[in-house]
Amino acid sequence: MADSSMTTQQTPRAFGEVYDRGYQHYTGPRLGRAHAFRALTGYSMKRALGAKKRWTAKVVPVILYVAVALLVIIPLGIQGFIDAAEILQYWDFFSVAWLILGVFVATVAPEMLCGDRREKTLILYFSRPITRLDYLMSKLLATGLLTLTITLVPLAFFWLGRQLLADSPVRAMQDNLDDLFKIVIVSVVVSAYLGALGLVVSAFTSRKAIAVGVIVVAFLFSSALAGVLQEVFGNPDQKAWFALISPARTITEFVLGIWGQVNSDGAFGNPLETWIYGAAMIVIMLICCAIMYWRYVPED
Amino acid sequence: MSQAVLDQTAGARATTHEDAVIRTVDLTKRFGSFTALNQIDLSIPRGAIGLLGPNGAGKTTLIRILLGLAKPTSGSAEVLGFNAFSEGIQVRERVGYMPEAECLPSNATAADFVGHMAEMSGLPKTEARQRAADVLYQVGLDEERYRLIKGFSTGMKQRVKLAQAIVHDPSLVFLDEPTAGLDPPGRDSMLELVDRIYRMMGMTVVLSSHILEDIERVCDYVVIIDSGQLALAQRIGGTPAEGAQLSIQIDGNPDQFIQRLHALGIDDARQRDRMTGLPEIVIRHPSDRVYDAVRDIAVELDVPIVSMTGRTRSLEDLYLQAVGASALDADMYGGV
Repeated sequence: MADSSMTTQQTPRAFGEVYDRGYQHYTGPRLGRAHAFRALTGYSMKRALGAKKRWTAKVVPVILYVAVALLVIIPLGIQGFIDAAEILQYWDFFSVAWLILGVFVATVAPEMLCGDRREKTLILYFSRPITRLDYLMSKLLATGLLTLTITLVPLAFFWLGRQLLADSPVRAMQDNLDDLFKIVIVSVVVSAYLGALGLVVSAFTSRKAIAVGVIVVAFLFSSALAGVLQEVFGNPDQKAWFALISPARTITEFVLGIWGQVNSDGAFGNPLETWIYGAAMIVIMLICCAIMYWRYVPED
Repeated sequence: MSQAVLDQTAGARATTHEDAVIRTVDLTKRFGSFTALNQIDLSIPRGAIGLLGPNGAGKTTLIRILLGLAKPTSGSAEVLGFNAFSEGIQVRERVGYMPEAECLPSNATAADFVGHMAEMSGLPKTEARQRAADVLYQVGLDEERYRLIKGFSTGMKQRVKLAQAIVHDPSLVFLDEPTAGLDPPGRDSMLELVDRIYRMMGMTVVLSSHILEDIERVCDYVVIIDSGQLALAQRIGGTPAEGAQLSIQIDGNPDQFIQRLHALGIDDARQRDRMTGLPEIVIRHPSDRVYDAVRDIAVELDVPIVSMTGRTRSLEDLYLQAVGASALDADMYGGV
């Protein structure tokens, strides 16, 4: 009986005791460079969207996501009531959503690079098992993936919605798989292109506000510049080449070309071959990568 | 490197040269015409290592080369058995680094950022979060770990920097001026932490500093660099017989006292230059015979002995021997 009461007295103290375990060595797995690359990509994406930051950092991304969601949900809703009303076509999406995409990239890209430069966090990243090139590729991937969430995701949702509104959804999906394929191709190329443009501007300043301003102004100014140049210098056969100066115009012409459509405004004359717009985007993207490489990678 | 899980225990290649963790051969680094490091030959054992030298001596450059972040102009460097430049990834998997400069994101919590740094070192997500919490507790930031770093004091930021350097349990950690900008209590507690990292956590610590006192307090081995040259690399202290000195303050004529010592065959006696106060005589390698002689001469000359202090060879002596008195800058005594 005495033993039993002792046990009941000791038990609560044993459970309530706080022990200082001292320092414990880490004995778990170490997953190396690829894991570090993934960790940096994921963390960069979350931080760019304002995760684990104050609510004010989340406002702009949320507004842009809501805007692009409305852009595809409203036409789908109308089409649900009026069969013949195809208000939005796949190839219209990028020209209609251009402002949203531009602001999104201008918001996200500076978050990827400027903060690390301004707060000198780069030295901590470079003391980890990654290379400088890994760092850049991770940031490029993070920007591209985030941009896909505002290009591929809404367009894929739009495609799915249109098929579900058909009389035979499964049949419609089978018949329109080529549209889905085109959506994926276009979204990947456009996201990588815009992401690279946004990042290359961000690589030259540590101030986010400056980077945002420069990206927005560059996107707007480039369209105006392309318009003026084709008016002043372009003969009818050469006009179309000036479209390559403007990201908005290049993307629009590329998307229209992929779906076999022609721009109705005809401002830049007869469009070039579609592959030229695609190749131009890829070349500009590679030039942006080379500039960032030159900016970040050289060793001491 | 492959996705293979790394060796969790030693995590390093077998090293030679008496288990040296760092080895450099003819290591030279030039920036244009400026030579930051000149033919440095080092073989540093495990322990608490002090990297000492005035500002601009080349300490940070040496650390950057050892981390594989800068390419040497010539020569080679090995860390934990890996070539620091060609196998920089392997080196950085196994070492930690606390830079001198401000380098923390202001808009992140300590727990979030240190956890992210653990993931960046290859730890899986769950383990990384757990390690971050443990290590922040170890550096004294248990309660504050969910606060944004921008609200932290300088001392707290230094602790976060230290936490990110050790969160992945490295074999070797480079601490670049960890007491910079700290007030005396903050400096004291940072040095205690550094000491714990070595003695309790078992990590080899390379503490870079221009403050003699910091190195002397924590380290048992010192590497002195001056103007890019290796001035000295050896254990601090040594055997009493090797470095012991007897310091005597007398209220009388020191020249006459020293002459009498020399006459008795005690040649290692000299007067120490002092700007103020009583004359001081320093005798190296004191034995019982020396103590007897000092007593007898004091009686013979009727000179009062004000103090007699025995001491082993200090870091200051080593520094003076290696670099010379002119280089012993006032700020090396740790004024903050």
